[in-house]
Amino acid sequence: MTMNLHDTFAYMVSRWTDELVVTSAGHSSGTWWDLTHDRDKVFYLTASMSLSSMFASGIAVGNPGVNVWAMSGDGAFVMNPGMLFVERKMNLPNLTHFMVSNRCYGSTEEVDIAFSEHADYATLARGAGIDRVYSFNSLEEFKDQFDEAVIAEGHTFIVLNVERVGKEVRTASMDGPEVKFRFGRYVEERTGQTIFNVLP
Amino acid sequence: MTLERREVSNIIVNQLAESEISLVASLPDDWVADLIKVVEIDDRFIHVPVNREESAVGLCSGTYFSKTYSAAVMGASGMLTCIYAITKINYTYEIPMFFLVSMRGAIGDTAKYQISNGIYFLDVLDTIGFPYKVIESREQLVEIPRVHRHSRVYSRPSAVILSREVLNGET
Repeated sequence: MTMNLHDTFAYMVSRWTDELVVTSAGHSSGTWWDLTHDRDKVFYLTASMSLSSMFASGIAVGNPGVNVWAMSGDGAFVMNPGMLFVERKMNLPNLTHFMVSNRCYGSTEEVDIAFSEHADYATLARGAGIDRVYSFNSLEEFKDQFDEAVIAEGHTFIVLNVERVGKEVRTASMDGPEVKFRFGRYVEERTGQTIFNVLP
Repeated sequence: MTLERREVSNIIVNQLAESEISLVASLPDDWVADLIKVVEIDDRFIHVPVNREESAVGLCSGTYFSKTYSAAVMGASGMLTCIYAITKINYTYEIPMFFLVSMRGAIGDTAKYQISNGIYFLDVLDTIGFPYKVIESREQLVEIPRVHRHSRVYSRPSAVILSREVLNGET
């Protein structure tokens, strides 16, 4: 059993308050944009080839008072599952990594991920030593455990097993520097730090 | 580890601190192994060992959105694996980042397996318009803060590339 990505993200958006969000390539980016049209609290990191959770970790370690949600897809995840070891080493209490598993490369016409039928991503995360690991196959189950899995403090890795989308979902129409400035200005305002135009 | 090597490692970490860098991501190359050990025990830094060099690009780019200045320490061969991550993240979004890299494959490197990387390393950086400073003597290590600062001015990454001789404390 799997979940509908749009419905799953719609629920997350309904529970979204002030967390910073880093999206990954493919359907997570497009669907989050489609639901929120947010240009400030979201960094649309497209096609980083698996680096969204590391990028989010950098944001989280530098902003300990701010919770950060990192999205990745299983296409990206299988490129660099070793990211889990780094996440565990950092063990950031303000980082939640959502791994959206649709068992295909969502941004490239949903070509199958050849390894997915044998892969258990949650077990991999537990094997990396991460304590707070969840895997959801139904939206009801996700809703029931949302407070424990997402709202409670602690570095968390969550597998969202979702259906394929079956169509192209366009992400935010912004060039890179606009994404940087919109997001960075929001972080400046939120945290009182100056990010731009300061030199060490 | 020789005394000379440790002395150079200490100078480098002091220059990193002078640069207000407080987070160091690293993947060892044997020429920077002692430097990494010194970073690990120095309370001025959060040290994050990474699984591969590209992860350091992701991590250090993310720290830009805070007051945390960071550095990525690796070998030249490791940096060559980061080209896509650099152009994708740092160039697309114009995000600064600072690298500290050993100049593997240059004249004086006795490891044959590093030579093929060294042949093209600087040419690859030149091709993507990547600013760097090659440091070949201890006296030049004071350039580290200036090169770090340049990445912030340029809104893209920059690198200090360290020769074998300087890392070994020979020059």
